[in-house]
Amino acid sequence: MSVAVDSGENVMVIPSRARRIANVVRLHAANPVPTLILPWLIFAAVFALNLAIWIAVVSAAGGRDQLEPDAFANNGAISWIYVFLLVAATQAMNLTFAFALGLGITRRDYFLGTALYLAGLAVFYATGMTVLAAIESATNGWGLEGYIFAPLFMGDLPLVEQFAAHLMIAVFFFATGLFTGAIFVRWRALGLYVFFGALAFGVAGLILIASLFDGWQGVGAFFTERSPLAVIAWTLPWSGVTAVVAALILRRATPR
Amino acid sequence: MTAIIHAHGVSKSFGSVDAVQDVTFDVAQYSICGLLGRNGAGKTTLMNLLTGQEFADAGSIRLFGASPVENASILSRTCFIKESQVYPEGFCGKHVLRAGAWVYPEWDHALAEELVDALKVPVNRRVKKMSRGQRSALGVTLGLASRAQLTIFDEPYAGLDAVARHTFYDFLLRDYAEHPRTVLMSTHLIDEVADLLDHVLLIDEGRLVIDAPADELRGSAITVSGVSADVERFVSSRHVLTTDVLGGLTSATVAGLSSADKVAAVEAGLELAPVSLQQLIIGRTRGAQQGEVAS
Repeated sequence: MSVAVDSGENVMVIPSRARRIANVVRLHAANPVPTLILPWLIFAAVFALNLAIWIAVVSAAGGRDQLEPDAFANNGAISWIYVFLLVAATQAMNLTFAFALGLGITRRDYFLGTALYLAGLAVFYATGMTVLAAIESATNGWGLEGYIFAPLFMGDLPLVEQFAAHLMIAVFFFATGLFTGAIFVRWRALGLYVFFGALAFGVAGLILIASLFDGWQGVGAFFTERSPLAVIAWTLPWSGVTAVVAALILRRATPR
Repeated sequence: MTAIIHAHGVSKSFGSVDAVQDVTFDVAQYSICGLLGRNGAGKTTLMNLLTGQEFADAGSIRLFGASPVENASILSRTCFIKESQVYPEGFCGKHVLRAGAWVYPEWDHALAEELVDALKVPVNRRVKKMSRGQRSALGVTLGLASRAQLTIFDEPYAGLDAVARHTFYDFLLRDYAEHPRTVLMSTHLIDEVADLLDHVLLIDEGRLVIDAPADELRGSAITVSGVSADVERFVSSRHVLTTDVLGGLTSATVAGLSSADKVAAVEAGLELAPVSLQQLIIGRTRGAQQGEVAS
């Protein structure tokens, strides 16, 4: 048996766990384009597109006052923004996993560093969304009563609650992105086909169950009986479970 | 001897392909060990197993006395440079070297800069846009500047020209002399690195067929040539690795000749010539294949 690194001259400092996790965060941030810059460009494109449509509609109608006050208030554009964050998280893992392992980073440190980085991104984007929502509100919906960053009920909430809502939604999408990223790293595209196939069947199954057993009233009540924030808080269990499962999946992943 | 790498009965299959089969060997501290073998012999898989990137189906692997799998204290003093390394999209050479400086505690910035100059690494170019040789130069720079106590190179100089390769050898030997470390490297260019190696591992179709000090191997085989009948008579009771027949002349590569054997051969009118490491390896891998066909 040999226990190496014993000869005095070879005493060596192993980087602390905090340091190792910070290295993974730096690895993700080394190329800021996919996770820090590109999403804003996508947001800008989504925003510009909506603005263009509103202006077109307003000019066709012959003025904003010809339209219903809440004509532009129920807008789903924000879902595009969040789905893109999911994609960005998945892509970030695909880009760095093999390289991180090549640098002798353990899968555990890689997961923790990636989760920390994505948590930071969630705060970053939730802050950005809240600031944009505040501007949106201050400008009376960009002068057109159009609401992208605080659609539906969101505009009625105080800014702190808006921030909490954006944060939980961002965490939801990043946790799901961590999960799909882990699936992709371990099983490549085949894994994602299986996952999204299963998800589609699962959702269809739930809809079927709700319909067969007259559950829609209960579903409706779930959303109306709670405050918006409490409804959104129900994403947290999913976020927690997907993050844990992502860690388990990564434990046996190999670079390809 | 302190074993930095200890592998015992290591096996790994991918589906029906037995990439590595029951491989057992040690690599001593401060040695430069060559892992030789043909394409697809299992070299890269073995190195992936050694560094915990792949999981072995059977057997045990110890680096610095402990399992490398998910072991940060071992992996942080191990640097594995492989030709097939995937680099993050958008990374330039300088990003890769910066990451090396973060991760390896004994990173030598000055050495990295020296290597970048000597090997002409385009640090501002995206890795994706680099030629094969440039990517190899980047890998070699990362591997040497990491000063990792165990440095594993998988085909480190694929695509490097002869000048760059010799620059690499010079730097490796110089740095090895100043900062002793353990190096395991796989290569096709056997004769070129023959003088560098202390120890040779030869893997063929997933099995380890040679595990011997390089010095021992260099003197271990001799080519005996002459008139076919004479050669056949001489080698009949000996361990023949390869035989080539041309007209009435035969040359046979024979292992394990003693001095008395050599004298006898010369007296029988045969010519003797030393066998290069490369020829020996070719003989051994071919021999293993013939054995498989026969069995």
